Amino acid sequence: MTRYIVRRLALSVVTLFLLVSAVFLITNVFPSDPGRTIAGPFAPQATVDQINETLGTNDPKLDQYGRLLKSVVTFDYGDSYQLRQPVTDLLRPALGRSAKLVVFALVLTVPLAIVAGMYAARRRNSFADRAIVTLGVASSSIPEFVSGVILQYLIAVQLGWFEPLALAPRGSNLITQLRYLTLPALALVVVYFGYIARMTRAGTINALDADYTRTAVMKGLPTGRVMRRHVMRNALQPTVSVIGIQVGYLFSGIIGLERIFNYPGLGLLIFNAVRAKDFPLLSAAVIVVGIIYMLCTLIADLVIAWMNPRARLEAVR
Amino acid sequence: MDWKRFDRVRRDVGPVHLDLVESYAQGRITRRQFARRAAVLGLSLPFVSTVIAACGGDDDETSSSGTGATGTSPPGTAATTGSAAGTEGTAGAGTPGGTIRIGAQVPGALDPIQMQDLGAYGLIAQSFEFLATLGDDGMIAPGLAESWEPNETGDVWTFQLREGVKWHDGTDFTSADVAATMDRLVEAQNSGLSGVIESGAVDTTDPLVAVFNLAAPNGNFPALVSLFNAQTAITPASYETGTTLDATPAGTGAWILDSFDAATGCTFVRNEAWWGGATPLDTVEFSFFDDLGTMLTGMTGGAVDALVQFSVIGGDALLNDPNFNVLEIQSATHRQIWMKSDSGQFADKAVRQALALTFNREQMLETLFRGRGNIGNDHVIAPFLPYFDESVPQRERNVEQARQLLSDAGVEGIQATLQIPNLQEIPELAQLIAAGAAEAGITLEIAQESTETFYGSQWCPAEPADPPCSGAAEIGIVDYGDRPTPDIYCNAALKTGGVWNSSQYSNPEFDAAFVEFQGSVGVDAQKAACNKIQTILNEDTPIGMPFFYNFLSGHSNAFQDVNVTAIGQMFLQKASQA
Repeated sequence: MTRYIVRRLALSVVTLFLLVSAVFLITNVFPSDPGRTIAGPFAPQATVDQINETLGTNDPKLDQYGRLLKSVVTFDYGDSYQLRQPVTDLLRPALGRSAKLVVFALVLTVPLAIVAGMYAARRRNSFADRAIVTLGVASSSIPEFVSGVILQYLIAVQLGWFEPLALAPRGSNLITQLRYLTLPALALVVVYFGYIARMTRAGTINALDADYTRTAVMKGLPTGRVMRRHVMRNALQPTVSVIGIQVGYLFSGIIGLERIFNYPGLGLLIFNAVRAKDFPLLSAAVIVVGIIYMLCTLIADLVIAWMNPRARLEAVR
Repeated sequence: MDWKRFDRVRRDVGPVHLDLVESYAQGRITRRQFARRAAVLGLSLPFVSTVIAACGGDDDETSSSGTGATGTSPPGTAATTGSAAGTEGTAGAGTPGGTIRIGAQVPGALDPIQMQDLGAYGLIAQSFEFLATLGDDGMIAPGLAESWEPNETGDVWTFQLREGVKWHDGTDFTSADVAATMDRLVEAQNSGLSGVIESGAVDTTDPLVAVFNLAAPNGNFPALVSLFNAQTAITPASYETGTTLDATPAGTGAWILDSFDAATGCTFVRNEAWWGGATPLDTVEFSFFDDLGTMLTGMTGGAVDALVQFSVIGGDALLNDPNFNVLEIQSATHRQIWMKSDSGQFADKAVRQALALTFNREQMLETLFRGRGNIGNDHVIAPFLPYFDESVPQRERNVEQARQLLSDAGVEGIQATLQIPNLQEIPELAQLIAAGAAEAGITLEIAQESTETFYGSQWCPAEPADPPCSGAAEIGIVDYGDRPTPDIYCNAALKTGGVWNSSQYSNPEFDAAFVEFQGSVGVDAQKAACNKIQTILNEDTPIGMPFFYNFLSGHSNAFQDVNVTAIGQMFLQKASQA
């Protein structure tokens, strides 16, 4: 297992290097004038030139690339062009907010979807199975920003049961924060419930039909033990893999939902950085998202390896 | 007319003020115009009241107190038309204490000197103050300056500063702070004071007197250093350009910045040592919104108590909500359709006039703003200003005449790209303009761009730098915020070599008329100069200006005495829970 982890971490470093290089290329494709962005459209050109000189944007590209690589290690990306604050000061709270929403949504979705998926698999072709599959297909086909608007209007504006916006007042305790996050989290549940439930159902059906399950049943093992030790360990591997990938997306890809609920997470931060050509902020945020992706897939792979020794043997081979 | 009283008034004033009083007495300006102009010239409220009383106060306009719904305002609208700010009359003492939660647009950097967006204007105005601030009547009133007056020629203005004003750190506010702020503004070229004052313009011999020596006479100078010129907020002498409020909290105002998060919002707490006394509210919380629709949802869902700004499109529900108090402000906010007048397809003024003749101004105002605004006449003098000259004929839609103009000029088959920012109703306005133009044979293809890039790439590119904006697109639409006087529109957008002159307009007659306007102190002289400005611009048409539209703001009925300006500054010193 240690060898497996070391190998995966080494691969992650290479991936990170490629990611940083890609970010540098992308941010240098756009024509931009950071000095003008900072000083504004009406500032004298001399002021703009002075700012560009200070920022080092006139330096050779290789020097700038070297600085970006260094910043990955030191995590000092300088100041945001647009907001003139240290990038890390902007990134840290946005990351925290995204993490809260993602974790809350997963806590609501994953157990529910796995239980529903396994239940449907065990009662294949029953009414409950058909209901779960149909509901899953229908709900996962609704984009989260659409279900978000509907939930916001019905539950917050019309019924007043929850808050219409997701950001709790400063200093709120965890319970209050979760109350504010309920609607956007529910919007994510709507999308991901169906996806994860169907994945779990398919995996469970395969595991239930497998020879090792049949053998276990024939040996007379209790149903609960068969499900825990033989079915679940095999059935949930694709589900874990999918969840690992989706977590990365949830951190950065739910811009629509964050806008609807005025919840400035990483997605909105990246979106606004792109709009304003705020490259220090954009670079840092994209690299952070990349690291999150890598960490999540790494954790998912480790979980799978733990569940299935064959997986880690194949990976090390 | 009470002649005895009126004679006494006349004896007490200087020549500049006398001209204004005579203009009102002779009926050449309305009561509202008199009050607005009196505020600019620094006449006290009791004096203005005396003049109005002496003259009988019998014109048919409603009171300028801004307390009642007037003009076109619908039921539920608290205030106001005819002023550049929405104010509510004294509704009686509210419940002291509490917090008001305000929805506002995400601000740019909070640098008082270089800021360029309404979001930043609104926050800066909480902590920093102006020489002239917002009066109860929606016009300018004494702020950090208790009074001001010009010399006879209008090129030296003396501001008597308020005594006992302290910065938030406890140090004294003096004329040195005023002088340093003005010098920074001159250097940054971001406040519309270019050509009005030069570096070192403020004499600070007396720490409580700031004497402005202007580059040329200017009858509107106090308005240019008032809250309506947002960058002129007075900052400490030590506050260098580039310093931001969040990094270095400071100010003399009623509210002290307590916390700030660029992504989510900020909180201001009461300044117990404010010279104006204790504010009824304890704290003010701003929540930043990236999207207007979300902000409206926040309001209807009870997550915020007030909105700095909202639009008619999308905000209809609030206009008819009995629990929402709309503040509607007649303003000079407008859109300019600039047309390059030095080269290209619009160099011939007949083509520019032809395009302006295709505007269906009433339809635009009705469609885009539900009629909440004033029709424009392709010049920058808003019809509610005291020096607006109504004798200049209004340009009406006439497609036949437009075709004839193009035919006479030997021009046909004009095809141009109309460059626009993706901002508020501008894309819809562009569609209306293009549809109208097509009827006269002018084909306008619309190219839309984000506001982050539009200004630097289409409206006023930095290069070529001389003359400014010479790299602008052939035709486009740009937004202009409210200003108390048309100086900045004329000075920056229309004067030869102006820093925002994207139409590259140059007419010595216009330049002279503008200089004449700036140098005019009396109402008649200003009106005469405005007649020339209106006539020349309407004739030359370097810009199309279909309308001026009203600024919409508002708050929940749970609060009272909230005041706002048409450039997004919400004043909460008197606000309280109802």
